[in-house]
Amino acid sequence: MATQTPTQETTEFGEVSRLKGIAFKYTSFAASIVGILALGVLLAYVFWDAFGLESAGTTWYLSYTVTLLVPLLAFFAYARTRPDVVAGAFELFSLTLGGVMLTVATVIVLSVIASPPVWFAYFLTVVGPAIGMYVYGQYNREATWVGLGILAAVVVGPVVGTLGLGTFSSLGAMLGAPGIYFLSLVLPGAGMAAFLAHDRLELSKRQSIGIGVGLPVLAIVGVPVVDMVPQIARSVWLIGLVMFGLPVGFTVVNTAQRRERWAAFAFPAIAILGFLLGEFVVGVVGATEPSPWLDWQYVTSGPSISNAAEAGLYPAIIGSVFLIVLVSVFTFVFGVGTAIYLEEYAPATGPLGTITRLVNVNISNLAGVPSVVYGLLGLGIFVNINAQLGPITYAGFGVGTVFTASLTLSLLILPIVVISAQEAIRSVPDSLRQASYGMGATRWQTIRNVVLPRSLPGILTGTILALGRAIGETAPLIMIGAATTKFSPPSGLFSKLTAMPMQIYAWAFQPSPDFRYGVVAAGVVTLLIVLLTMNSVAILVRNKYQQEAH
Amino acid sequence: MTTEDMATETEAQDEADEDSLISTDPGKGGLDENADRGGVTSGKTIIHSRDLDVFYGETQALQHIDLEIPENQVTAMIGPSGCGKSTFLRCINRMNDLIDIARVEGELSFKGKNVYDDDVDPVALRRRIGMVFQHPNPFPKSIYDNVAYGLRTQDKTDDMDAVIEESLKKAALWDEVKDRLDESALDLSGGQQQRLCIARAIAVDPEVVLMDEPASALDPIATSQIEDLIEELSEEYTVVIVTHNMQQAARISDKTAVFLTGGELVEFDDTDKIFENPDSQRVEDYITGKFG
Ligand SMILES: Nc1ncnc2c1ncn2[C@@H]1O[C@H](COP(=O)(O)OP(=O)(O)OP(=O)(O)O)[C@@H](O)[C@H]1O
Ligand SMILES: [Mg+2]
Repeated sequence: MATQTPTQETTEFGEVSRLKGIAFKYTSFAASIVGILALGVLLAYVFWDAFGLESAGTTWYLSYTVTLLVPLLAFFAYARTRPDVVAGAFELFSLTLGGVMLTVATVIVLSVIASPPVWFAYFLTVVGPAIGMYVYGQYNREATWVGLGILAAVVVGPVVGTLGLGTFSSLGAMLGAPGIYFLSLVLPGAGMAAFLAHDRLELSKRQSIGIGVGLPVLAIVGVPVVDMVPQIARSVWLIGLVMFGLPVGFTVVNTAQRRERWAAFAFPAIAILGFLLGEFVVGVVGATEPSPWLDWQYVTSGPSISNAAEAGLYPAIIGSVFLIVLVSVFTFVFGVGTAIYLEEYAPATGPLGTITRLVNVNISNLAGVPSVVYGLLGLGIFVNINAQLGPITYAGFGVGTVFTASLTLSLLILPIVVISAQEAIRSVPDSLRQASYGMGATRWQTIRNVVLPRSLPGILTGTILALGRAIGETAPLIMIGAATTKFSPPSGLFSKLTAMPMQIYAWAFQPSPDFRYGVVAAGVVTLLIVLLTMNSVAILVRNKYQQEAH
Repeated sequence: MTTEDMATETEAQDEADEDSLISTDPGKGGLDENADRGGVTSGKTIIHSRDLDVFYGETQALQHIDLEIPENQVTAMIGPSGCGKSTFLRCINRMNDLIDIARVEGELSFKGKNVYDDDVDPVALRRRIGMVFQHPNPFPKSIYDNVAYGLRTQDKTDDMDAVIEESLKKAALWDEVKDRLDESALDLSGGQQQRLCIARAIAVDPEVVLMDEPASALDPIATSQIEDLIEELSEEYTVVIVTHNMQQAARISDKTAVFLTGGELVEFDDTDKIFENPDSQRVEDYITGKFG
């Protein structure tokens, strides 16, 4: 040892220069700070305007700082070193927001886009049978006809539903909207809740059955209570119970079951109590409150072009929901289909392989094409073309209609969806495919049982992020002639629409500063809330599945 | 060198011998050579390759392979890295079809039928010839679902629980996992995963089991468990195993094929003959470690 051999000389190690590395590190740091700061300033600025914070008095700020801001900051400081608490709080927060959005979207889709009896007709012919067969297939795994049955329901069901629309919808009309929602949402939702409780939350059989029975009972018992509140229709109560109640209930129980996450409950508690306490304090001391542009009136009324105080985003919100629903269906079906074909079926070598490579390169290029060009494409093929194919006349889908707009936006994000799905499929280790083929599985069995389950989180994340891009687009909508301002929401696939970014764009040109600052800012915040919610749900989905895969 | 090898093998073999019903014991070849020979040569040929060439693009990976693999015996493939052992194994159940640039010429017959004939469905072929890969590759599913995978894809779902239990028992894994069949297979240790892959392969009751270095990632204990298993398997199945471990080949196989660099089959004979008295000087050099 060194101490026992003092005669040995000490070696000089010298020092290695790290100058370049240090310079690089701080440059990168500065670059990232600039980006984050710019975003933060923008957000603060928009929020300031949207909620009219400048008109609030000092006492108002003081009250909320004490009741809400300080407790929240304290919570963040506490949670900083506890990843479990952060994860739990994030889950509670994003699933609550997601539940609200899901409820709003469902209400809009089921009662504004399709009338309840029409929904009932398709529930009877498509959704109901498909769900029924899927559930049966889960219990009786030997039943190999289930997959085909579901496919048949999805293909044949719409035809049957359309042919028998009169009969089915008069049946639905007899039930009334609440009855329809009870049958088509609450009952399947109760089944799902019981399943989740037993399978995912690992509650006992009796508790799970209790949940399954309790949900419909709660739905019925709640009706008289809801009737006393004029703002909430019975339908909204039933839809909300399923679409908001299920995800929120699930996370609450899930969080409650994990002791290390209990502290996460402090987050909603602080937020809600702090808000109520703030309201109370402000009322008592009589502080001047802010006059927000973004309020209930804003999201429920049509756009005024003369009176900023009466302006609302309702038609544009409905238009955007229409777009999200249709675009997600189109891009998921075509995008994932294309990706699976290119990755799993298309030949990689030989002359056909050259074509595959060409297609791949082109898809990457298409992802970079400016959106205004897609608008032009949409204008060309969905609006302006007039073609006569024998007896069939194709004259496009109309200027600025829901259908034209959603097809155009689908084209715009299709390359992004395809690329991200390809990426996800490619990340499935080849050894798993080999294992499956080695067991004598067919290609379809391998895709269905090995490739898709493994790549689904990636596919979903990519699709949701791409959808976020689609709902923020303005240029393609302008190109296909969508209205910038509409006073009523679209009522069907071929009615004209406007979307949130379009309406915001239109307001930005109003001469009155109230429009240019207040109303526009409120629109931007609404759009951002929708986008951020979608993104957080995407993150949650990814984390969830990644954990399950291990 | 050879004698040293034999000495270690005999020691290692003693334990396994007690519960093994297999009469053929190449490890003890030096002692009762004749009895072994009799056992080995009686096998009926199940896989027969004639003048088999395999190309990856322009490069030839296997050259004119002629080989007869006997039924219900263990055939080992040894040879230096990159000589084409895995390639040959993948030819047998047509896993090479999945490699775009791979091209097979010549004939390889399974029970008298050339598997490269146009009317052979590779999926049907793979249902009769199971495969265990070099690295354990369980699916990210439960232990139960892993073994059930082949049964489900092949519609052999009758009495599934019993079949799964039996396969896990054969693979010497049942006792370790019987209480946690619902847990993820990825939580098992490497050796357990490999035994799970073996259980998965034999659950569907194939006629041949191909194993590509099944013990290369395992510790000596897990390795010896798998060797015991292979010996048991050869009562019911034909086993073809690739290995880099010379002693392992000598211990468990009845026949040995020696491939050398360039993709040629240099010698194929009874295992004890190969290890004691090979015809080819190159084989002797390879086995004794003079040449890699
Ligand atoms: N997918 C492939 N594409 C191109 N060449 C390949 C491919 N697989 C194998 N080869 C080539 O074929 C030859 C034989 O490979 P193979 O994997 O059969 O060797 P091996 O004997 O199994 O080696 P090891 O003992 O290292 O596993 C090697 O030269 C290898 O480079
Ligand atoms: Mg190999």
